[in-house]
Amino acid sequence: MKTRPLPRRTFLRGALGGTAVALGLPALEAMLPAGSASAAPLPPIFGLFFWANGMPWHVGHGPGHAFDETPDLWTPTTTGEGYEPSELLAPLSPYSISVVTGLTPKTEIPAVPPGQDDGHMRGFMVAMTGDRIRPEGFDLATHTLSALRPTLDQHVAKHPQFYADDKPPYGSLILGVSTARYHEYGHWNSISYNAPDSLNLPVCSPAELHGMLFGLPPSAELRLRRAALLDAVMADAKSLERRLGAADKARVDAHLTHLSEIQHRLTLTDTTCEAPDAPALSEDLHLKTGIMAELLCAALSCGLTRVFSFMLTSPGSTHVFDNLGVPNDMHSTCHGGEWEPVRKMTAYQMEAFAILLQKMQATKDPTGASLLDRSLVFGTTEYGEGWRHSVAEMSCILAGTANGKLRPNVHVRAPDGNFSIAHVTALRALGLDTPSFGWNGGETSEQFSDLLV
Amino acid sequence: MPLSAPAPSRPVGTFLAREALACVLTLASTTAACSGSARNPAGDEPGNHPAEVAAAAPYEPAGAVLPRLTTLQYQSSLRDLLGPDVPLLRTEADTNPYLFDSIGAASTTLSELGAEQYELSAEAVTQHVFSDPARRAALLGCQPARPGDPCVRDYLSRFGRRAFRRPLTGAELARWTDVSIALAEPDLWEGVRLATAGMLQSPYFLYRVELGLPDPEHPSRRVLTDHEMASRLSFFLWNTLPDEALLDAADAGELHDESSIYHHAVRLLSDDRARDAIQRYFAQYLDLGRLEGIQRDPETYPLFTPSMKSAMRREVELLVDHVVQEGGDARAIFSTRESFVSSELASLYGIDAPGATESTFVRATLPEERAGLLTLGAFLTMNAHETETSPTARGKYVRERVLCQEVEPPPPDVSTTLEPASGDAPATLRERLEEHRKNPACAGCHSFIDPPGLLFEHFDSIGAYREHYPGPLAIDATGDLDGVPLDGARDLADLLASDPRVGRCMVRQLFRHAHARRDEKGERPAIDDLTASFAAKGYDFRDLLLQLVTHESFRTLRADPNEVSP
Repeated sequence: MKTRPLPRRTFLRGALGGTAVALGLPALEAMLPAGSASAAPLPPIFGLFFWANGMPWHVGHGPGHAFDETPDLWTPTTTGEGYEPSELLAPLSPYSISVVTGLTPKTEIPAVPPGQDDGHMRGFMVAMTGDRIRPEGFDLATHTLSALRPTLDQHVAKHPQFYADDKPPYGSLILGVSTARYHEYGHWNSISYNAPDSLNLPVCSPAELHGMLFGLPPSAELRLRRAALLDAVMADAKSLERRLGAADKARVDAHLTHLSEIQHRLTLTDTTCEAPDAPALSEDLHLKTGIMAELLCAALSCGLTRVFSFMLTSPGSTHVFDNLGVPNDMHSTCHGGEWEPVRKMTAYQMEAFAILLQKMQATKDPTGASLLDRSLVFGTTEYGEGWRHSVAEMSCILAGTANGKLRPNVHVRAPDGNFSIAHVTALRALGLDTPSFGWNGGETSEQFSDLLV
Repeated sequence: MPLSAPAPSRPVGTFLAREALACVLTLASTTAACSGSARNPAGDEPGNHPAEVAAAAPYEPAGAVLPRLTTLQYQSSLRDLLGPDVPLLRTEADTNPYLFDSIGAASTTLSELGAEQYELSAEAVTQHVFSDPARRAALLGCQPARPGDPCVRDYLSRFGRRAFRRPLTGAELARWTDVSIALAEPDLWEGVRLATAGMLQSPYFLYRVELGLPDPEHPSRRVLTDHEMASRLSFFLWNTLPDEALLDAADAGELHDESSIYHHAVRLLSDDRARDAIQRYFAQYLDLGRLEGIQRDPETYPLFTPSMKSAMRREVELLVDHVVQEGGDARAIFSTRESFVSSELASLYGIDAPGATESTFVRATLPEERAGLLTLGAFLTMNAHETETSPTARGKYVRERVLCQEVEPPPPDVSTTLEPASGDAPATLRERLEEHRKNPACAGCHSFIDPPGLLFEHFDSIGAYREHYPGPLAIDATGDLDGVPLDGARDLADLLASDPRVGRCMVRQLFRHAHARRDEKGERPAIDDLTASFAAKGYDFRDLLLQLVTHESFRTLRADPNEVSP
């Protein structure tokens, strides 16, 4: 990737319709002297990695959630720094990941409407938002549900201390790999929420992602004109908004917010990003993970964003792992109680996670630090296990060091621990003031101090 | 959880929540989360006794919705505005809560990626037109001399009227003219292009703004304007913008009385775009998209060729088109002995079909054991597992799609997988399902959905007829529908041919699609009216479309958009 030096803060001015447009550019590696190892570290990156359908079930998932004494292949037998990785964590051990085991949701469960205790609903939402699902509008028959608040990726991206006044072109990048979906709507299709009914849909096509991030940028003048006309579009949206009921007003309001994000992006008229080669195409989950991860790393290293979510497989994924000799889709296989195929599919998903971490470790910035060193990648899934949706023993991985703030290679065992203690820990590692996290019974101000430097 | 019915999503917080709650309360005293059997077998609405309902409560309109254009509607609108060969970029995917794209379009919030895709699309389509002097001259119809001159203003006024489906206000015309002047760099064409791209990103183009005006006769109601009516009619019957003739009719104030709406709807219905829209409606109602995800092992099922799925889908499309366009009884879709088969389907059904090839479908009479959609390859295949059938999925389809009844998913703490046959005697799927129903948590639902589902047991996972299960066990395809004992899918087809719930369900599904949301309680009198006229006209589907668009429920709204329906 070629770069050319830029001043630390570059302003580009254009006159449009009589208005001066002043543009601030984000921190880019080009602004650093090449190879200067003494430079201050670049600001941290936050990533959310999600995989579907939990773990192969074991007695820790509770009564009625295990049969034939299926072993726990996830929890390491030792704790503390330098723990002995378990079978399922082994693929991740080269990246010195830290892991917290024993966590579970602590949110209250309203009785009405019924079904809010199901892992697909409660486990997912607590892992992603620290809160329960929104009871209002929950429909068990069709699995329609919404969040009460933003998911962790958006919480970070919108935290006033994270970008402060140095917002990159993309507040976050929302990526996906498998395109199999249990339903095409709602959280079954995207793990990232801005607000209750406002989802960030994942880009799952490498070609589309490449075009979006590295497509030949039109001239600065044209981008500024495109940005300017959005003022008129937003004026239309505002005039419409006044006539709407609350639900539709919120939808148009979200649309308006998106328009101002796009306008912001269009006004950032220069970039040091050298486009990586057009990506290969593959539907093989591992190969495609690698392709998406390379594009992501290119975007992260040139400062297009510092927050991402990476949905390997969607909640309740119906992905068919026929490459592993599993004929039926993953969700059905879990419900079929087929432990051994679930073990294989989970191990395969961990290997995919390792591919992302490997790419991040291999991408170095001019200071010599890797993207993984800068990052905190929070890896989780929707419940403890997918056979009967236990939310005991939910998975939580913290990879990277967040610029040295997160202690790597540590296993914390927290039996029946509040999942949001992990949230607090991650957010504090990123340097974000977090007096507490979690809602509706899940509140906590605790942290896992063993994980914080 | 099983693959389940389509879903809601909008009403988060509006009518759905109430409906779900009401359902819970009725069920509170019953055994399990499975509700179907716990209810009146007719489902949650008193569908069989329309007269009682009509007498009990007057029609109450529901609140306005704001559907975003579906992908097809967006693309067709771009073509109508800018020409048939404009580049069509990817835009945010449709979703189908409660079966229909329209309901997804009215209930989902556009993502940031979706907004960016609209921006890129607007850029691409306007570049396509304006980079070509002949195309842009044709679009404007005049030669602009300077930015903002009368030629430009006139064009923006015409384009805006078409794109927004109503005349621009003075302020809007001024705004877009100002954009075309301010951005006229390097030349005036660029300003006109960008103003065009801006209008294509305006919510007045991207959403169907049908909010109505206060109804002087009913203070609690609003009535669609003539232009909103033009938009609603056109997107419903054509999946695209109103044409000039319909906009002219709106300008002339012709779209608020039943006879002239009828007159215009007849014209729209006679166009191929309506035929296509009807097909797309049925594909969603009958869930044909689900066939795409089906896989079958070619060694186990040699008849299941790579092109079989598309043949199965095509068969249903041809059958629907035939029944609808002939103007006969639309309920015959579920009972007719006629179908349209390719050579592959003829092999699957074991019939002779002279003239049929892989790509040529011929009209044929189905064999004795088959009648109607529920005995065709598409339905039988997509409601079966890879290695064995699914009486549960088949029964659920009958309950939910054909009879409009609701089936709750199983409670989360029970296994939905049947125990494999064990012990000395081999067990049939029926016997294993009966075992399953001994669990009281499962019995509630399964005794509701399995008995009709078991009627299809003579058809395997690709819809081929069989006398025996693999092995020696003979098929028993007896079952029942709400206590009426039946033997086999033919019996069911004969029963459905005269079941009043089928016609009413067709009305209700169409109503939901047309209104881009679930029907509300206050709208039952409207559904009753439409059901009655559907019956009176011999269940002619095209006539139902005309009845629906001329009914007051198609043009009235509840005045307060925030009020929650009971």
